[in-house]
Amino acid sequence: MGFHRFLDRENKDRDLAEEIQSHMAHEVDTNLARGLSDAEARRQARLKFGNPLAVRERVWSYRSLPLAESLGRDLRYAWRSLRRTPGFTIVALLVIALGIGVNTAVFSVVNAVLLNPLPYPDSQSLVRLVLFTPQRTLDAANVPEFNLWRKQTSVLREVAGYDTGGAGLNLTGSDHPMQVQGVHVTHDYFALFGAPVIAGRTFTKEEDSPHGGDVVVLSYGLWKQRYGGDANIVGRTIQLDHTPYLVVGIIGRNFVTDNPADLWIPYQFDVNNHDMAHYFWVSARLQPGVTVQQANEQLKLASDQFRREFPNAIGVQNRYGVVPLKEWTVGDTRTPLLILLSAVVLVLLIACANVANLLLARASGRKREFATRAALGAGRWHVVRQLLAESLLLSVSGGLLGLLLGYAGVRLLLSVNVGGLPRLGENGSAVTLDLRVLLFTLGLSLLTGVLFGLVPAISASRPNLLASLNESGSRTGTGFRSASLRSFLVVSEIALALVLVIGSMLLIRTYLKLQAVDPGFDTHNTLTMTMSISGSRFQTAAPVAQMIRQGTERIKTIPGVVEAAAGNGVPLQGAFGIPFDIVGRPKGKAPFTGGAQYYSVSWGYFDALKMPLLRGRTFTEHDDGSAPGVMIINEAMAKQYWPKGDPLRDHIQKAPGAGPIFAEPPRQIVGIVGNTRDAPNRDPFPTMYIPIAQMPDGETALNSRIAPLWWIVRTNTNSQAMVAQVTSALREATGGLPVAHIRTMDEIDRLVISQQRFNMLLLTVFGASGLLLAAAGIYGLMAFSVEQRTQELGIRMALGAQASQLRNMVLGQGMVLTGFGMVIGIGTAFWLSRFLARFLFGVKVWDPLAFVLTPLLLGLVALAAAWIPAVRATRVDPMTALRLE
Amino acid sequence: MAKNRPSDAGDILQGTLDLLILRTLILGPAHGYTIANSIERTSENALDVEQGSLYPALHRLEDRGLVSSEWGVSENNRRAKFYRLTVKGRKELEAATSRWRRMTRAIGLILEEPNS
Repeated sequence: MGFHRFLDRENKDRDLAEEIQSHMAHEVDTNLARGLSDAEARRQARLKFGNPLAVRERVWSYRSLPLAESLGRDLRYAWRSLRRTPGFTIVALLVIALGIGVNTAVFSVVNAVLLNPLPYPDSQSLVRLVLFTPQRTLDAANVPEFNLWRKQTSVLREVAGYDTGGAGLNLTGSDHPMQVQGVHVTHDYFALFGAPVIAGRTFTKEEDSPHGGDVVVLSYGLWKQRYGGDANIVGRTIQLDHTPYLVVGIIGRNFVTDNPADLWIPYQFDVNNHDMAHYFWVSARLQPGVTVQQANEQLKLASDQFRREFPNAIGVQNRYGVVPLKEWTVGDTRTPLLILLSAVVLVLLIACANVANLLLARASGRKREFATRAALGAGRWHVVRQLLAESLLLSVSGGLLGLLLGYAGVRLLLSVNVGGLPRLGENGSAVTLDLRVLLFTLGLSLLTGVLFGLVPAISASRPNLLASLNESGSRTGTGFRSASLRSFLVVSEIALALVLVIGSMLLIRTYLKLQAVDPGFDTHNTLTMTMSISGSRFQTAAPVAQMIRQGTERIKTIPGVVEAAAGNGVPLQGAFGIPFDIVGRPKGKAPFTGGAQYYSVSWGYFDALKMPLLRGRTFTEHDDGSAPGVMIINEAMAKQYWPKGDPLRDHIQKAPGAGPIFAEPPRQIVGIVGNTRDAPNRDPFPTMYIPIAQMPDGETALNSRIAPLWWIVRTNTNSQAMVAQVTSALREATGGLPVAHIRTMDEIDRLVISQQRFNMLLLTVFGASGLLLAAAGIYGLMAFSVEQRTQELGIRMALGAQASQLRNMVLGQGMVLTGFGMVIGIGTAFWLSRFLARFLFGVKVWDPLAFVLTPLLLGLVALAAAWIPAVRATRVDPMTALRLE
Repeated sequence: MAKNRPSDAGDILQGTLDLLILRTLILGPAHGYTIANSIERTSENALDVEQGSLYPALHRLEDRGLVSSEWGVSENNRRAKFYRLTVKGRKELEAATSRWRRMTRAIGLILEEPNS
């Protein structure tokens, strides 16, 4: 009893051998005593005992675990048998590996980006505070709103404000000044997101009020990189734009933020500030047990209260509310996820159909082998077990290959995606192979292997031995039923692959169309970089304009530079929105005439970007603080607000009633420029351009605090080569200010459509794998059928059939199946493509190119897959074929 | 070889063989050769099996904890493995003996019935 009998079998066997020897010795002793000769004594002893080896074997096998033993044998045999048919084995392995690998890789990435909850403790209760308007939902906030939300303690807690992350800071006080991302946060921020403090502490409430002192919390990355991980930095001061800041704490490594942060600084809001400009974000935690709906109801009441306190601050139909942070960060995940899941399912189905097909083909080709084995005494269970062992071996090794492929695939996907997706972590560290998916896919391929290994196994092991052995037809045909089942599988594979490829084709076309959209300016040979000007030097417009003038003049002395300019933003990167009034135009009940995004720019801006001037004039160096206020609008704004009239006759009041820091006299519209593309698939926004030298001082101070200054340098050659010269020129001209985020406009252009690129890439991977799998399926079926019909082909040839006739016959059969599959596939794709509509741009869901080109492509692939076996059919030697049986 | 029977023959007699081994060991510890000869003698050669088939039975009994074994020196001054009945083995022998008696009596009754 007990398990120990399986262990230590060798020792026990040796013991038994010795025991048997002892037994024989005693018998020989007895025989000798009876007077027999030595040789006879031994012979009789052996006779009496029987076969010692047989005895030992019986004891051995009784001590063994019968199932495990024979499983090992079955696996060894399966390995030998698979090795005998390398073609089948390699195709099957690749099919399984591809199915498992691709699905696991894609799902792992999607899981990290879309499915995983935010990397914060109890992230389900985190919400973003927003303003719901009939048109859209806005998430930027101002101090009066922040105060209002903070008072809603019945539904919210840990209400924290933080920077939109735009402005950089300059870490000075050493020979190498460095631009760092400093995020302004209110003191609740760290508690809200559960930031792990590894040294010191975070800000106190006192430090987060006006005149609370200059304190800073460092990120793990900056602490390691700049301060060598020295914990004594806590309690010392560092220089930020030449101002000493006391380091109070360090945050641990695993803290991931939406916008990268090197360090955090307290916001120090003045709660009595009534500025209505929106320049930071607010998140909070729902009180325990409070639902989003309850919070929204409470905030709706708060909106009415706010409207009474600050008339005209928000429209009558607008109301405050919350959106779960996850939903806000990743947007609507349902539709893309469903599409992705369908793609996963399609690839899986194709892979399974393929494996099934291969196994069926293989099993039916081995009918005689099984019959022979059964005739030699192998039990039915033996044969079934043998086939199962083969399926198991295939699935498991295919699964392992798939794991490798999946790992490589994840890395590949991440390397192709450059910064376009949120929450991938540093270098995609947040993405790990998804074990659940891996196991699921592996399990499925195992199931397929077992299922489709079992069906033919059971039918093959039916005790009708005589018929199977006598069936000379075993090489002329494989029985109608299994052949039609396999044809059905191939037809489905082709249909499924077609659906996948048409889907990816639509996305490829979308991407190409997006790329072809005119950005409205010349992206080539244009270098951009950011400079943090948050220091005390740049709190008014004049020194900013002066610094830009010096910088641009200095850059333009570099050979190869055509134009240089600066502004508070560049196209494609988004800009601040602001309301405006057209002076003299009645606005009815609305608080403003309208809203537009705006850029404050230096006068060379339009030339540097090569934006076309449609009417009027661009800015000159004379549009400075002492000159009358002017502005340039874009075509979209002109069309929307002056459908008939002439904008150049009108004045614009920018940001009416937004508070004292925005106060300025109305501006004359002096020009209209072309639209730039701001979001890849949306109409251009109405946009205002304002001379940076004419900005109100208060607004300049705010801008310097919340956003960096962007430099734009147009060159007449490859601008990348001039980075070093431009940056050092800027440092000299600005008194040592460093620049960061150096990118060409082409790079930014690519980045903007990276989400679409990623979508396209994912579906292309699926489409390509589907195509490959389907091709393997067609090849497998045709190759097998040719092999099975060797005899028939030989007879045909002997009767005078031409090689080309035979080839065309095989090709024809392959293409009939392909044709069936394509008709079904096109129909299905036509029906399914409507779900892709939201992701398409410039392409109709029934895009003729996709629906014609894809079947053609698939047809070609199918033809190629059928060609090899077809040619093989013509090489059949009639004599060999006829003698085969 | 006339004496060579299929090794499975032992399985048919397995229960009987186990019982005979236990019965032999109740007289005291013995090694394989002694047990084999003793069974042969007492059963008047009725159980004509190869002596070798004794050993699988012995090892099975040992694994079930009915006998224990240790190496010792035989009366011939040779190394031999001696088997000894355990307490569990003794109980099993009693149970098996009474089972066996009941069965043989039942068989006896059935076989004698037509004559009575």
